[in-house]
Amino acid sequence: MDLGTRKILDRSFTAVGVTSILLMAMALLVVIVPIFSNGIGAIFFKGTIEHRKLQYNEFRKGNPDVLQQQITETDSYRNNAFSIVEAFEAEMEGMEPGEKKKEYASQYTSVRKILAHLLGPLPGDMEPILLRYQYGATRWEKAEEALHELMFVTKWDYSDPTKMATQYFVPRADEFAGTALADLFPYMENNLEKMLLPEQTFYWGFITERSLDAHIFGGIWAEIQGTFFLAVGAMLFAFPLGVIAAIYFTEYAKDNFFTSILRSANSTLAGVPSIVFGLFGLAFFINTMKVSESKSVLAGSLTLAIMILPTIIRAAEEAILAVPKTYKEASLGLGSTKWRTIVTVILPAALPGIITGGIISLGRAAGETAPIIFTAAVSVGATIGLADVFNSPTPALSWNIYNLASEHEAANEIRHVQYGMVLALISIVLLLNLSAILLRARISQKLKG
Amino acid sequence: MAEATLDGGKKSDAFVLTPEKLRRQRIARFFGEGFLLLVASFVAIVVLFIFYFVAVDAIPFFQQRGFVEFFSSTNWYPADEPGEFGALAIIYGSGMVTIGSALIAVPLGISAAICLSDVLPFSIRQYAKPVIEMLAAIPSVAYGFFALVIFAPLLQNYGGPILMWAWWLIAGPFVILAVIVVSDLLTSGDKGGANRETMRFIVTAVLGVLAVLFLYWVGKTLNAIQILSGTNALNVSLILSFMALPTIVSVSEDSLQAVGRELREGSYALGATRAETIVKTVLPAASSGILAAVILGIMRAIGETMVVWMASGNSSHIPDPWYNYLDSIRTLTATIAGDMGEADQVTGSARYHVLFAMGLLLLVFSFISNLVSERIVVRQRKILAGE
Repeated sequence: MDLGTRKILDRSFTAVGVTSILLMAMALLVVIVPIFSNGIGAIFFKGTIEHRKLQYNEFRKGNPDVLQQQITETDSYRNNAFSIVEAFEAEMEGMEPGEKKKEYASQYTSVRKILAHLLGPLPGDMEPILLRYQYGATRWEKAEEALHELMFVTKWDYSDPTKMATQYFVPRADEFAGTALADLFPYMENNLEKMLLPEQTFYWGFITERSLDAHIFGGIWAEIQGTFFLAVGAMLFAFPLGVIAAIYFTEYAKDNFFTSILRSANSTLAGVPSIVFGLFGLAFFINTMKVSESKSVLAGSLTLAIMILPTIIRAAEEAILAVPKTYKEASLGLGSTKWRTIVTVILPAALPGIITGGIISLGRAAGETAPIIFTAAVSVGATIGLADVFNSPTPALSWNIYNLASEHEAANEIRHVQYGMVLALISIVLLLNLSAILLRARISQKLKG
Repeated sequence: MAEATLDGGKKSDAFVLTPEKLRRQRIARFFGEGFLLLVASFVAIVVLFIFYFVAVDAIPFFQQRGFVEFFSSTNWYPADEPGEFGALAIIYGSGMVTIGSALIAVPLGISAAICLSDVLPFSIRQYAKPVIEMLAAIPSVAYGFFALVIFAPLLQNYGGPILMWAWWLIAGPFVILAVIVVSDLLTSGDKGGANRETMRFIVTAVLGVLAVLFLYWVGKTLNAIQILSGTNALNVSLILSFMALPTIVSVSEDSLQAVGRELREGSYALGATRAETIVKTVLPAASSGILAAVILGIMRAIGETMVVWMASGNSSHIPDPWYNYLDSIRTLTATIAGDMGEADQVTGSARYHVLFAMGLLLLVFSFISNLVSERIVVRQRKILAGE
């Protein structure tokens, strides 16, 4: 081959390598950036008066006098809209029965539905039972979406059978042209802001409050607490066991067949698919051992504990092996026993490394979903006390992200809650990992001297 | 040891080892080490328990229904009365996303590992490592959420253009490189002479035009594709490859590092470029370790639950045609996760036990691949140590 070609090949080889690393960094950004930018929206958003009403009624948060004043302010605009609606109803009463009236009636039903979605129950509606129908749009961007829906009828164009149907919009005002309701649409468009009074809101309660009406409103505290219980519970079991096993492997195990079996058991356990841990947790901890009646935090923690055990053992082993041999020799040379050397010299020196491994495992336990599906997680639940961990299941961030995104009846309506949850989970896990990385950097600096 | 005196001549036996003390020490050590051994064997006990308890609940299924239906039929109707439990399509789906993610993650991961171990200077490597660790740390459900809520709609609405751009950006540089190399090889028989330069120019030009036409044609075909559902095997394979990458990169990097400097320096001394050194010397020496990395990465992909459950479409059929990655599929892990909620109520039925049979299948597969990769790593270490 030509020397020039060889050089080109060499350069492109380097380029491929660098590109693949850049691709990985890009993959990370592509996943994280939208989650961060949308997740922030769960806490910072333009909250409407409906949000403030809800906050006051459910959590007694906010200033009641200001709220009352704002309600009277908005009511004057709302009442105008309601009177247009009433006028149209009266007009419909007077219409002759027929196709035209039916058409109007069905259109009018959807208008009413959207209005209720925007402003809360309309005069003449029954008091709704579900909380989600008791309030209007709490977030301004949702109100804007609903307004668009109010202004335009969505239609589908099927004229070209070779392509997918295309969407187009027809102004709803045209459908009601000539009736009293026609005035409603320009009025709503011009005055919606005055009816809802959007304000930039910092909703810290998203983290600290319970959820209302299956996450339609409210925060995610129950999930955060559940994740915390599960992960910390798993660590309580796995950390001591893992460190002791690591001490055995590094200091006591002889290089024989038995040890090699134990070691390959360790790597087998590390390779078991997470869903199989879930099956095992169900079959062993719940159905056989009966640690609890059905799903419980305890069963979930135990299942997570055996899942993270190999990681902890490996990290602790590495940390112990990284302790310079001279430490050990000095201690033994002073006449202390092997066990004393381990406890007073080796473990303190290896501790930062062991803790690093522990932190990473904690993050893994917090983020894992599959093992807790059958053993600990429920979709809707209240916060549980510390005494309940032995017999009651808990909502958890990881499981509820799945549940809200795939199984919730209004999954499309509460994207902001889902993003907020994912952001909370990722922040917890990445912060744990970041602290582990920083801790490790400090250790390696210390070892360099 | 003789008597020791402490505290102003007061006799102390603190340092005297009487037979009584020795015996006590030996007993303490025996129990201490026994305790440590017990804790260390806990992992092995857990592994045995996992196998036992999954198998105990899986065996009743095979007793009731036998093996043939499970492995050969594609009719998966567990809720019917009597149910049908053909898991072939589900096993196929698992295999499909695993192969798909391996096709993306293996080349990417190996070249990233080579880059980390042989190309990049240490200062840059320090920043690349946390990126890989963060990719590994992101919880699977977050990846699943990304696949379902962000990526699937994108794929559904702009699938054709996305595929086309991916093709041009990835295949483009490689095809151009291939043109340069092939034209060089074709004309290298003709030694010397001014003829060669012109010949080479002509061949390069002709091949280049053909290559661009080829790229354009494939790109146009891809652009015309309409993806009916964004939750499909392609989506899942891509996301799973993100998850398998960290494992593949870190294990193969270890194995590349294990190949000593001597081999590399020998190759450089013979006049090889860096690319030639890596491809012809380092990679063959590290090949078994890289194979182990690939196996471990594949295991992560096949055992992953949340991403496939959320974003694979969960439809239990073999895609038509069989290689159609734009079709929805269903995998073993997603079936276990999704069906247990209903099957849980009917403990003892075939519907409940079939999920354990699937779990056993996954368990056996992961166990075998783990053993194989471990053997491979041990062998490589021995070969490199010159034994």
